Amino acid sequence: MSKKTEQIKADFLKAIETVRTQPDLAKLKADFIGKKGVLSEILKEMKGQPPEIIREIGQVVNQLKTEIEKTVDDKMKKIEAAVINEKLKRERIDVSLRESLFDRGLTDAGYHPVTLIQREVEDVFTSMGFEILDGPHIEDDYHNFVALNIPKHHPARDMQDTFWFSDLKHLLRTHTSPIQVRGMESRKPPFKFVGPGKVFRNEATDASHEMVFHQIEGMMVDENITVSHLIYFMKTLLSEIFGRSVEVRLRPGFFPFVEPGFELDIKCLICGGKGCSVCKHQGWLELLPCGMVHPNVLTYSGIDIKRYNGFAFGLGLDRLVMMRYGIDDIRHFHGGDLRFIRQFKSC
Amino acid sequence: MNVSINWIREFVDLPQETGSELGAKFTLSTCEVEEVKTVNEYLQNVVVAEIVEIENHPNSDKLHLVTINKGKDTQRVVCGAPNVRIGMKVPFAPTGTVLPGGFTLTPKEIRGVVSEGMLCSAAELEIGSDDSGLHEFPADAPVGESLERYLNRPVDIIFDIDNKSITHRPDLWAQYGMAREFAAVFKSSLRNPYDENWQKALEAKLGKGTSPIAVEVDEDSACKIYCGLYVKNVTVGESPDWMKTRLNACGVRSINSLVDISNYVMLELGIPNHIFDASQIAGARIHVRRAGTEQTFVTLDETERAILPQDTMICDAEKPVAIAGIMGGLNSGVTESTTDVFIEVANFTDSEVRKTSTRLGLRSDSSIRYEKSLDSHLVRRSSLRILDLILQLCPQAEPVGTQVIAGKDNQPYRAPEIEISCDKIRSVLGTDFPADEEIIDILTRLDFGVRNQNGSLTVSVPSWRATKDVECDADIIEEVGRIVGFDNIAARAPLIRIEAVRLSLPKQLHRKIQDFLVLRGRSLEVMTYPMIGEKLLQKAHWPDLNERLILKNAVSKDNDRMRPSLIPTALQTAALNAKNFPSFRFFELGRAYFPDENTFSIEKNQVVIGFFNRKEDSFLPLLNTVEQMLDYLGYPAVIGDNGGRAAVLPKDWDGVHPYESVDLRILGKPCGAVFSVHPSLMNEWKMRGKLTLALIDLSEFENIKPKEKVKYKPLPKYPGSIFDCTVTVPRETAAAEVLRALKGVKYKELESVRIVDIFYPEDPAVKLMTVRAAFSAPDKTLDGAFLEEAQNKVVSELAKAGFPLKI
Repeated sequence: MSKKTEQIKADFLKAIETVRTQPDLAKLKADFIGKKGVLSEILKEMKGQPPEIIREIGQVVNQLKTEIEKTVDDKMKKIEAAVINEKLKRERIDVSLRESLFDRGLTDAGYHPVTLIQREVEDVFTSMGFEILDGPHIEDDYHNFVALNIPKHHPARDMQDTFWFSDLKHLLRTHTSPIQVRGMESRKPPFKFVGPGKVFRNEATDASHEMVFHQIEGMMVDENITVSHLIYFMKTLLSEIFGRSVEVRLRPGFFPFVEPGFELDIKCLICGGKGCSVCKHQGWLELLPCGMVHPNVLTYSGIDIKRYNGFAFGLGLDRLVMMRYGIDDIRHFHGGDLRFIRQFKSC
Repeated sequence: MNVSINWIREFVDLPQETGSELGAKFTLSTCEVEEVKTVNEYLQNVVVAEIVEIENHPNSDKLHLVTINKGKDTQRVVCGAPNVRIGMKVPFAPTGTVLPGGFTLTPKEIRGVVSEGMLCSAAELEIGSDDSGLHEFPADAPVGESLERYLNRPVDIIFDIDNKSITHRPDLWAQYGMAREFAAVFKSSLRNPYDENWQKALEAKLGKGTSPIAVEVDEDSACKIYCGLYVKNVTVGESPDWMKTRLNACGVRSINSLVDISNYVMLELGIPNHIFDASQIAGARIHVRRAGTEQTFVTLDETERAILPQDTMICDAEKPVAIAGIMGGLNSGVTESTTDVFIEVANFTDSEVRKTSTRLGLRSDSSIRYEKSLDSHLVRRSSLRILDLILQLCPQAEPVGTQVIAGKDNQPYRAPEIEISCDKIRSVLGTDFPADEEIIDILTRLDFGVRNQNGSLTVSVPSWRATKDVECDADIIEEVGRIVGFDNIAARAPLIRIEAVRLSLPKQLHRKIQDFLVLRGRSLEVMTYPMIGEKLLQKAHWPDLNERLILKNAVSKDNDRMRPSLIPTALQTAALNAKNFPSFRFFELGRAYFPDENTFSIEKNQVVIGFFNRKEDSFLPLLNTVEQMLDYLGYPAVIGDNGGRAAVLPKDWDGVHPYESVDLRILGKPCGAVFSVHPSLMNEWKMRGKLTLALIDLSEFENIKPKEKVKYKPLPKYPGSIFDCTVTVPRETAAAEVLRALKGVKYKELESVRIVDIFYPEDPAVKLMTVRAAFSAPDKTLDGAFLEEAQNKVVSELAKAGFPLKI
């Protein structure tokens, strides 16, 4: 009997050698250990034999069955792995073939550099509790000049070459300060806000002059505001923008809407103060005109100057953008040339 | 404006610091020193030398070896000048001298002979213009003397002051006024040579009786005060070196002694003035009045000026002789033959001078000062100072009569007083300094009068600061703050109530649009000019030329009006970039400007998006992007044929593609369009490819907060069913129309209808569309009977609309 099982085992091992596919393997398994397989046949043939023999043979057959099952399972796993490997190989992709390798026209996407810096400045101020306001580009004489303590025929009007409309009453705002005026008119102190936006000056354009550029204006009105508070906010702004603390100096500057008025200069970031062409060999760059809001300006907008005072400042955004990225020609900003804009791509 | 430090030192002692050190301090306290120049430094090195021997150069025919006597010793130099001769006295510049133009002399070998230093021409030293040969001094020139001393051209430091930074300070448009600032900044005392004693001494020299020329000032003219003085027996000649040097330092050219005196006093004391040839004044009378009629007038610079009736003119009995505060007339100026002069020192209303000079385009040294609002109380002193100098330069001159003074400002000065406490000053600065005494000291040095009562100050403002500049306590705080140095104030955070801040709704929307279009729309953001020209509008076929928003003083015709839409500049942007890229995507968030009867103008925020592709379709990619964006923005939006184009594009604009265009309606308002640009217009712009634009007017909804659109539903407990059917559809029928046909299937269990597939068979008249309807119910599994009924309804609705089931 054991000879028979020996033979079956040898047959099985021989047969499985040649099996390559899952169906063939399943069939082989059925042939040997299925209900009608050879091992079942042996057990059937045992009918009528004495119980000891049946037990003995049964043990041998069951052992062989287990052996066959295991061998089949192992083989099955091997075949499966081979099939998967084959499939993987067949379906292999070129993992180097990124979109960026293709020339599919201009696929860069991104914000205008002025937007990038403007958002940064806005975010610094909102983080310190300042609102962000907006206002019209076409302004009237009152909001652009008179309410800012610049009456008609004031020489300070010379400082800003104004674009006038034909009625000579309306103009393109020469600074973002009218946003201040409108902000004061529509609020009750205490308040603090900034107003970013486009401003317009009637100037011949060249690499450093534009007829349209960007400013951000800001003010804070409360009780007991001081020059030292102004300095605090300006220094915070600059260190946030430049990512490090910057050396500043404050010198008197004349702007009719502030008193006292200052120019805040920063030590030239290009030459470190030694003097270079960017800072016109001064070592300092004029960056932030600012000051304590002139009592006339507060009064014009209906604010009680016995109780409240405040500071105000203005910042040229284009200058900041140019310094950040080393841009040498301001005319690119409104030029619409994507060869310029794509350099600031976000993705 | 230029400041001569030598001139300043006449009035105040300054520390021995370098020019740039002085300049830096002055910038921090008073006004911006744009440039510090040292002049005449090289003239200290250059000496008068006498030529004692001339030999031929061994290696040259033209050059000579010249031995010179420098006083202390002699030296041999190489010289190539044609006029060299023995006995000549010439300028010699030794090695180390830095010549004008920045050239430093070093020992130099000239054809084998080393020359240490050089003999100079007048041009090389900028002491004259002759460059043909050596400059020759008179025979009595002292050998060895420096040119600085011999020519009386002392070394000086010149500050170039930024004029803008002294717009509000009429007193600083004068050397003496600047000296007062130096005295305060450097805590030095100010010498006033023109004090009361000086005035009395000069007044004693005036003639007795009235002036030979009478002065009348019309009350309604721009003249506030007029001071006239008649002087006879003057001679007009060359000015002395010291005067020329100072004029030169301030950038004023020497003309003749009388004109120079006039300019000198303006530079020194800040009040412009005019000297008439008295013989040219008809009728012995000056009348300051409005011109009255339109006329022309020839000014001293020999230019004809158009005068308007309201301009104030200085007139004699017959004719105008000067434009008030701006420039004198050619008909009455001093000449070489003038013997009698009439000196005008006057003051005019700032705004009127400014108005006239701006209109004439004539900004003179005089008008620049007047428009800053000058002090009427300084005219007498200036008039006397002119007399003072005339008497110095031509001692035989003699005033006739006294000063004649007229005008509404001819009355004693009453100083305005400002009350302020030292505590207030310190609290606004945010500092615990300066001490009371220092505050008083600063104000006193600036010539303010100060009365102190336990730290409460009554500050009286001197006349030259009271014309507009110093008016309220904030001005006094500035005076103290700047002299202390704003730079010395430490930063301090305020103690304030914390309040939540959010971006405004429009700002939130704008940022979301930018974010979406960059990150999802894969576009680049551009900015274009809000001012455009007629040419661009015409090129874009734009029917609205926005002629009511034209600038009066545009830089150019190309930017002379506000844009009525973002489309024309978008076309320009696309055309520019189509040259460089086969495909690109861009957007601009900007404003369009419209005239308005009541408010003059209305500005609308718009966003324009442009997709360009030379080969592939750009319409559907952009439409998909817009649909996704509108979904992201959270406003209910409808894409279709609903009037959006009419809202944002002119009715008769021919730039829209006949088939590729749809309308956008947001929050129920027609406010946008997506369209490809008409191929004819593309041809005119020389763009090969397809450009699709989307334009959305944000102003219709940007101030409305979008409603929360997320509505949570519990996850389904029962499976739903889907039903697909394929129908035959005419080829040209829009896919959306097929789905619209299912509007009639009104089961609450119907979740959605979508397209699964579209197949284009050989028959060109039809297409086959597979449509999927999804059904589900929250509370049960849908039974077969219901599904069958629903499916039949789907099929019948499609068939009813003309889309039969494919057999």
